[in-house]
Amino acid sequence: MSVTDAFLRWTAQTVAEPSPGPSRLREGLLAACLLAPVFLFLVAFVYAPAVLAFALAFLNFHPGGTTAYAGLSNFHAALSDPLFWRSMANTGLYALMMVPSTLVLSVALAALLQSNRRLFRFTQSLVVLPYVTPAVGTAIGWLWMYNPNFGILNALLRDVGLRPIGWLNSPHWAMPAVVLYSLWHGIGFDVLILLSAMSQLPEGVLESARVDGAGPWTRLFRITLPLISPTLFFIAVMTTIGSLQAFAQVYALSLSSGGPENATLTALLYIYQQAFTNGQFSYAAAMAAMLVVCIFAVTALTRWIGHRLTFYQ
Amino acid sequence: MRTIGHVLRAALALALGLAFLLPIYISFVTSLDRPQDVFVYPPHLVPDWNFSVWVQTWRGNTWMLAILNTVVIALATIAIALTTTVLCAYALVYIPFRGKAVVWTALLAVLMIPEQALLIPNFVTMAKLHLVDTRIAQIIPYGASIFGVFLLRQHLLTLPREYHDAAKIDGCGHLAFLWRIVLPLSRPILFTVALYIFIGCWNSLIWPLMVTSSPRVQPIEVLLSTFLTQDSSNWQGLSAAAMFATLPMIALFVLFRKPILRGLSKSSGING
Repeated sequence: MSVTDAFLRWTAQTVAEPSPGPSRLREGLLAACLLAPVFLFLVAFVYAPAVLAFALAFLNFHPGGTTAYAGLSNFHAALSDPLFWRSMANTGLYALMMVPSTLVLSVALAALLQSNRRLFRFTQSLVVLPYVTPAVGTAIGWLWMYNPNFGILNALLRDVGLRPIGWLNSPHWAMPAVVLYSLWHGIGFDVLILLSAMSQLPEGVLESARVDGAGPWTRLFRITLPLISPTLFFIAVMTTIGSLQAFAQVYALSLSSGGPENATLTALLYIYQQAFTNGQFSYAAAMAAMLVVCIFAVTALTRWIGHRLTFYQ
Repeated sequence: MRTIGHVLRAALALALGLAFLLPIYISFVTSLDRPQDVFVYPPHLVPDWNFSVWVQTWRGNTWMLAILNTVVIALATIAIALTTTVLCAYALVYIPFRGKAVVWTALLAVLMIPEQALLIPNFVTMAKLHLVDTRIAQIIPYGASIFGVFLLRQHLLTLPREYHDAAKIDGCGHLAFLWRIVLPLSRPILFTVALYIFIGCWNSLIWPLMVTSSPRVQPIEVLLSTFLTQDSSNWQGLSAAAMFATLPMIALFVLFRKPILRGLSKSSGING
């Protein structure tokens, strides 16, 4: 298209549309058309179900059967169900173990692996790799490592003269074993975003600290960590939310049972069992509603604490 | 002193990296062991390269069908989600319209709703639509990718404004601009989003577990979990099956390490 041609078109446009009204309207219509597909899916599978989820909790719904108003009875039943309390306590315990260990371990790994040299880049990839692998697929290797008789972990313990552990067979060690697996599976993501935050730090600050005689540890604890505290806070929030929704890892490592002795029965696993093993949809929905309220409350609390500890530039 | 420190740090890093690989490597070795080398103490760490368990396990279950199901579900999800993503992000960046703040808040709100709360009502929806135990039921709930919209919007905002102005002056309408300029310039970011959707589909467990019951439509992770819960003492078979599910993802990671890592480090900006 020649310049004059373009100019003619442009003038034609501006002359033909002196008022912004119709063009505005047309753009608005176009925007609505472009946004419609996304919102079609969101209304059908996010917004409406979010409302329906709460409605289900107040009904007695059976797929293919009758539906009746149930009031608060599902909530009453859940609150007097010892397994519901056990599953919530297990979920809280899991989060309490996951969040601090994720923060410490991801910072340690990021500090160790921060370098552009090939060996370190390669190692960063190895640490991230588990994050993209399927949970059940990799849990099988861990089940084998946790095997009390033939697993490599007890072999190592015996080698250094410690007593072997029952791992997933022991009610005491099963949850820590799940935590160890989850750290292995998910820490790569946290390490990666820490490394990316660390690479964006102003060079001058660290350089002048080095000139002033600050050692590597001082630089890490006094400069790097405070400067990347928003990222640490993000990791804490994401790990908290993720931990309260733990499912695939316990489903695989406990062979869908939540055992031994319900030691790894997380809230979501119990909800899943109630809905799809026992067909108690409304009961499960009531428990899911309470879990969601807990997730919101804990997230708000983490944010409140985080804003007090976070340094924003 | 400094060199010793450097060597020690490199050695420690490498040892840790290999430790991260160990759980997958153990499955690999176990699946390739001769049967008499499986239940031994101390654990066997060098494979015997005995592929008979792989062949036997592959024949014993519908792995090929499960992988095909997974790929079909993933590709269909990618096609739908990328289309909706591109249209939505384009409108958000290039079209001035009233109520944009409301639209943006509505999109942000999706991140606040835990997916788990939606599982049961979505199952009810699928039951009403007679879509339980189909591939479609595993595709359409993921037709809108908030991750994709946010990532693409961030990318479009970094493109020079002048492109749009110049196109407008040249008489290029919105759709032509989207098709001729925006799409070609967004190819890498869309590829990253597609990779993420693929990995997510390959690894998804709870929703397909709920909404499917027959191997005819089940993805690989669900077939593997059925195998695991039903035959949990068949260590070699399980390890071989674990390799069927894990090795493709490792291959994908090795092939597309850069876009995957780029997407991961960018995804922290979404909630930040």
